[in-house]
Amino acid sequence: MDYQIVVCAGIVPDPLQTLEPVAAATGPALKNEMMLPAVLDPWASHALYEAAILAKNAPGSKVWLVSLGPKAKLQQVMMTVAQKVPFELVALEGPASGFTEAAEVAAALAEAIQAIPGLDKSKLLVFGGWESASRGAGATLQMAGERLGITEQFQGVDQLVAGADGSLEILERIEGGRHQVSKCAGPPALLGWATGSLPEPKNNPQIGMANMRALMPALQKAKPAKLAGEGLKFLSVTLPKQLRATQIVKDKSPDAIAKEIAEWIKT
Amino acid sequence: METILLLAHADAGGALAKPAREALRAARTLNKAIAGSNLFVGLIGENVQAAADSIAACPATRYFGVAGAEFGQSRYCTDAAAAQAIIQAAQATLVVAPATSRWNRVLPGVAQRCGGRIDSHVTGVADADGQPVVNRWYYRQRMEASLTRTQRPWFMLIDPGSQEACECGAGAATVELVPVKLAEAGQRTTVVGIREPKADAQTIRPDAPLLFVTGAGWTKKQADGQAHVEEAGKLIVDFLKLSRASLGSSKSLVDLGGEGQAVLPFLSHLNQIGQTGSTPRHAKGLSTCCHGEEPHTVGWRFIAERRAISLDPNCGWARGKADVLYVADAFAVIAELNKLLG
Amino acid sequence: MNEPEQSPIERPRMDADIVCVGFGPATAGFLSTLSKELLNSDGTAAVESAVAPGLPLQVLCYERADDIGFGVSGVVTKARALRESIPDIDKAGIPMAAPVGDEKVLYLLDPAGASRRPALLRLADGFIRACKWALPFEREALNLPWTPSFLHKHGGMVLSMGQFMQWVGGRVQSTGAVQIWPGTPVSQALIEENKVVGVRLLDQGVNKQGAPGEGFAPGMDIHAALTVVGDGPVGPIGQQLDTHFGMPENHHARDWAVGMKFVVDLPEDTPLKPGTVLHTFGYPEPEIFGFFYVHPDRVASLGIFVPSWFDSPVRTSYRYLQHWMTHPYLWGFLKGGKLRSWGAKTLGESGRRGEPQLAGDGYARIGEGSGSTNVLTGSGVDEAWATGAQLAGAVLELLKAKKPFTKENLDAVYVQRRRGSWLEQEARVAEKSRDGFQRGFVSGMIGMALAGLSGGRLVLPGKPLRPWERIPSLEDYFRGRIPAAEARKIRDDCYARGVSAHAALMERAGWPAIAYDGQLLVSHQDALLMGGKVQAPHGYADHVAFVFPNQCQQCGTKLCVEVCSGQAITPGENGVPNFDREKCVHCGACLWNCASASPENPERMSVAFRAGTGGAHSAEN
Repeated sequence: MDYQIVVCAGIVPDPLQTLEPVAAATGPALKNEMMLPAVLDPWASHALYEAAILAKNAPGSKVWLVSLGPKAKLQQVMMTVAQKVPFELVALEGPASGFTEAAEVAAALAEAIQAIPGLDKSKLLVFGGWESASRGAGATLQMAGERLGITEQFQGVDQLVAGADGSLEILERIEGGRHQVSKCAGPPALLGWATGSLPEPKNNPQIGMANMRALMPALQKAKPAKLAGEGLKFLSVTLPKQLRATQIVKDKSPDAIAKEIAEWIKT
Repeated sequence: METILLLAHADAGGALAKPAREALRAARTLNKAIAGSNLFVGLIGENVQAAADSIAACPATRYFGVAGAEFGQSRYCTDAAAAQAIIQAAQATLVVAPATSRWNRVLPGVAQRCGGRIDSHVTGVADADGQPVVNRWYYRQRMEASLTRTQRPWFMLIDPGSQEACECGAGAATVELVPVKLAEAGQRTTVVGIREPKADAQTIRPDAPLLFVTGAGWTKKQADGQAHVEEAGKLIVDFLKLSRASLGSSKSLVDLGGEGQAVLPFLSHLNQIGQTGSTPRHAKGLSTCCHGEEPHTVGWRFIAERRAISLDPNCGWARGKADVLYVADAFAVIAELNKLLG
Repeated sequence: MNEPEQSPIERPRMDADIVCVGFGPATAGFLSTLSKELLNSDGTAAVESAVAPGLPLQVLCYERADDIGFGVSGVVTKARALRESIPDIDKAGIPMAAPVGDEKVLYLLDPAGASRRPALLRLADGFIRACKWALPFEREALNLPWTPSFLHKHGGMVLSMGQFMQWVGGRVQSTGAVQIWPGTPVSQALIEENKVVGVRLLDQGVNKQGAPGEGFAPGMDIHAALTVVGDGPVGPIGQQLDTHFGMPENHHARDWAVGMKFVVDLPEDTPLKPGTVLHTFGYPEPEIFGFFYVHPDRVASLGIFVPSWFDSPVRTSYRYLQHWMTHPYLWGFLKGGKLRSWGAKTLGESGRRGEPQLAGDGYARIGEGSGSTNVLTGSGVDEAWATGAQLAGAVLELLKAKKPFTKENLDAVYVQRRRGSWLEQEARVAEKSRDGFQRGFVSGMIGMALAGLSGGRLVLPGKPLRPWERIPSLEDYFRGRIPAAEARKIRDDCYARGVSAHAALMERAGWPAIAYDGQLLVSHQDALLMGGKVQAPHGYADHVAFVFPNQCQQCGTKLCVEVCSGQAITPGENGVPNFDREKCVHCGACLWNCASASPENPERMSVAFRAGTGGAHSAEN
C-alpha cells in the first residue's frame, strides 16, 4: 500500500544556544530570536526520517513537510534538511516561537494540510514530534489531527511496522521505560514520534538538488498564519534561579568520597 | 462560575494511581482558591466504582464515570470519547488531569473537540484575583511561565511529581455513569499489549530515589591513555544493581551508542536526560563524567539534591548547579562505592 | 594533503556548471554578483546550463560548517566592495551592523609585570608613566593622539560576520539561482591532467580513521566546468592546489595569526556607543594585537591576534585573551558583562606574498586563501568580497562569450581584472610592510608606519621564516624566568595529566591566575560550550591527523597542544598527541603551529588539517 505522509515540523533554536526570555509587544519572546541558529525540531526530524523510510519501502508514497516559521529562517533550515530525505515543503509564514498558542498553530497546520492538492485521506498519515523543543506541549498534533477528523492517534512512537494487509503496528512509549503495542487497521492515522531508533540520514546532494526545485517556490508561496494568542495572557516568563552554592571537594581519596556518597545515598 | 473536573483513569485493579491523586491535589487547590467553584471527579476505566470510593472523602460533590472493557485500555479514540462525554455531562470549565502517557496522548484532542484550550506539563496552579493561573515550562524546561486564559473549558495536564499526592480517605461515592456510544469508525485500533524493556536495559526507574547520570567521559581515554569502556559498563551496571538507581545519560553518550560504536550497549535514547531526553524527578542525583552547561543540565532541573564527580573542578555541569562536586576519578570512586554498597 | 584512495570505491556522480568550495565572504561576493545575472525577470534562464539544457546555470556551493555563518569572525570594514555590490547595505537592517563611529588605537602598558617587553618598550613604558598627567593616559593605556590614515575605517561598518553571512546567504539563495549547502565538506578537488574537473565531497559513515563503517556513504563526485575555491587560509582544497600546482616564484604563506574572540553583552551602564572601534597593542605580549568593536544593543566583539612572529613554544590564544580582557582599560568596559559567543580562526598574514596561482584550467581562487588580505590595513573581508565579485564579473563575461574556463581565459578576464583594481594596488603597498616584525616588535611597528606612510616605497626588511624554523625551545624561551629543569618538569607533569602546560608555565613566570566569575571569565571548556556551542556530527573521519608520528615522538615543544583553540589536541601516548573532534573549532592553528617540518614539503609541517564537519554553532561571531 502507498501512503501520503504529512510531517508537521517546526523550527527551534539550535539545541546548545543560550536562551533568555524577553517581553515583546506581542507577548513573551526569545532574546535575539532571529539571530539564533535554528534547526528542525529534533523530534519532528525523527518523524521526517521515519516518514522517508516508510515512503521508500512503500512505492508510490509521498512525503510533505509542513512547517511554520519566519520565511528567512525556514529557508535556512531547509538547506540543512533538504539533503537528508526527499520531501515537498508546505511553508507557512509566522513566528516559530514556543510561546505561540498550540491550538492556533494546530488550526494553521490543519488548514495547510487540507489544502494540499490531491490529498487522499484514506492514505493519509500525519507525522510529527510528540513534543517540541520550543513549546514542549505535546498538544499541537492531536488538535490538528482532530481538525482533520483523525481518530486513530498515537504519541511517543518509537516504532511503526506496516503490515502487508495495510495495518500498522505501533510502539508508543509509556511509563517505566515500557512500550504499548497497538495495531491500527490503517490510515488515516496520526503519529507523534519520540526519538525512534533511526540514525540521521547522510547528506545526499542529489536529494538536495531534487528537493530544491520545489523549495523556493514553496517558500515564496508561504501564507501567513493567524496566531493572535487569543484569550491567553502571560503573567511572567522567567529563567529558573538555579544557582547553587557548590561545595567543591578536591583533596579527598576515592575511598573517602565513596564513603560520603554511600552515606548520602542511604539517608 | 468555574466547574473544576478532575479526570483520571482507574487502573486495572480499580484504584487511583499516585499521579491521579497529585492531579486531585491541584484540582482541590483551584477549588479552594476560586470562590464558588464546584469540584467534580470524572473516572474512566473498566470499573470505576472502587476508584471513586477510594477518594470519596475528598470535597468533590459529584462523580462521573465511563466504564466498560474497551475503556480499560489506553487508546485514543475510546479515551477521547469517554472524556468528552464526561466533560459535557459535568459542564466542566476547568479540566485537570495527570500528565500520564495516556492523558498526554488524548486530552489535547479532547480540548479541540470541546472548543477549549490546553496547557500541558503544568507544574503549579494558583489564582490571581480569583482567576486560575498555571505555571508551565517552555523550551525544554529552560524557562518557566505563569499564564492565564479566558477560554473555557481550560484543560490542565499536571506533571507527575509536581504536587503532593492528595491523601483524602475512602468512603462510598455515588458515581453517575455516562453512556458513550462509540462510532464504528472510531474503533480501528486494537491494543496488543505492553512490551517490557530488555532485561539488561531495566535501568529506568521513575520511582527510584536516586538518578545516576552518566556522561561521555566514561568512554574517553583515561589517565593511562586508554579508554576503558567495558570496565565503565560493568561499574555502572553494578552500581545500578546495588543502589537501585535510575539511569540517565547525556545526549552525547547516547548518540555514540546510536552510531554503532562500542560504547555502553545498555544505553538507549530512553535513558537520555536533557535536550531531547526527559527531565525526570528524583529526590537525589549523582552525575559522573558529565560536562556541560545549559541546556545539558536541564536533565536534572527537577532533581532535589545533586552531587557530581568530575576531574574538572571548573566543570560547568556541576559548578553552581550541584550541591557537592567531588574532584576525583569516577572509575575509582564508583569502584569503591560498589564495594561499600555490596 | 588528502590520503590516496586505498581501494576503488564506486562513487555517485553529479554534474553542475559551477561548484564553489566554502561559503565565506569571497564566495558570498561571487554568488551575490553572479546570481543577479542568471535569471530573467520571468524566472527563465538568462544563462543556460550546459549540463541541464533548458535550465538556468546550475551553481552549487558546499560549505563545511554545519550552517552558513558559523565559524567566521566579527569585523570592522571600510565596506567599499560590499557597498558596490549591495548599495542599500547601510539600510538593510543586518543584525549587529553599525556604522563606524569613534576610532581609537591604544597602547596597553603591562599592569601584571609579566609581559616580555624589549628594553626599548620598557623605557617607553617608564616615560609614559612618568608623564601620564600630560598624556591621554587612562587605566594603564595610552590613547594614541594621532594614527596614520591607512589604519582608519571611517565611513565603514562594524559587522558580525556570522550575522552578515546568514543575511547575505539568505538573500542570495532566495533568488533561486544558486544553492548553498552547509554541513557538506569538500574533501578534494578532482584533477585530471592538470585540469580541475570538479570536487569530491567528504565520505560519510566512516570511523575516525576514515574506514567505511555502518551507513557508509562515499562522498559524491561533483563535476563542473568551473570550480571556485574560496575555502580560506587553511582550506584543504587550497592546500591541495598549492601542492599540486605549486606556488608562484617567491610566494609562500609563512605568516599567520590565530584570532580568538568573545562576543559580550556589555554592562547596562556601558558608556560605549555602537560603532566604537578600539584597537590595542602592547599587552599581554607586545606582539599580540587586540580589537574591540561595539555593535548595537550593548553588544561587543572583542579579541586578540596571536601572530606567527610571537616566538613562544607555549603560545596560547585563550589564556592571553583572558589576560587582555582583564587589562584595567578593557576590564573597565567589560566588568559586569556576559559571554554570548566565542570563536577562533586562523588568518593568513602573508597577504599578496601568499598569493597562489589565482586560476588554472577549470578553477579559480578567491578570498583569503588567494592572498587577498591587506596586512597593512588589517582588512580582509572587503578584499575577499571584491575578489569574488571580480571573478563573478569575469565568469559572466566568459559565459556570454561562450568561452571555456581555461587558465588562459581566466587569466585574461579574472586575474587581469584583479590586477587592475584597488585591491592589487593596496596589496602591493602592504606586501612587505610587516617584514620588520621578523626582527622584533619595535622594528615591526616602525616598518609598518614606514610602508604605510610612504605608499610601500620604504620598508624595513626582514625575511619571513617558515613557522617551524622559528619556534624556540621551552628552556630558551623561559631562560631567566624559570630554571630549565623546572620548566621541563612543569611541562612533563602537565602532559602526564593529559593537559597543556601553558597555564602552569605562565603562572610560574609571573602571570596572575584568572579568577573565574562564571559570566565572562570562564574555563576554556565552558567557553566552547557557553560561547561556541561546539559540536561535531558523528560518522566522519578525524580531520586533524599527525601524519609523521615518529616526528611527534621526538618533538620537544608540542606547540599544537599549547595553541589548540578548543583544547581538542591533548598530550598523547608516546608523544603523539590525541585529537578530539568534538572540541575542534576548525580554526586551523595546528596546521602551522608545529615545530617539525614535513619531510615531503618544507613549507608544511607534521599536522594535516583536512576537510571536516562540526565546530562552532554560533552565528554571532
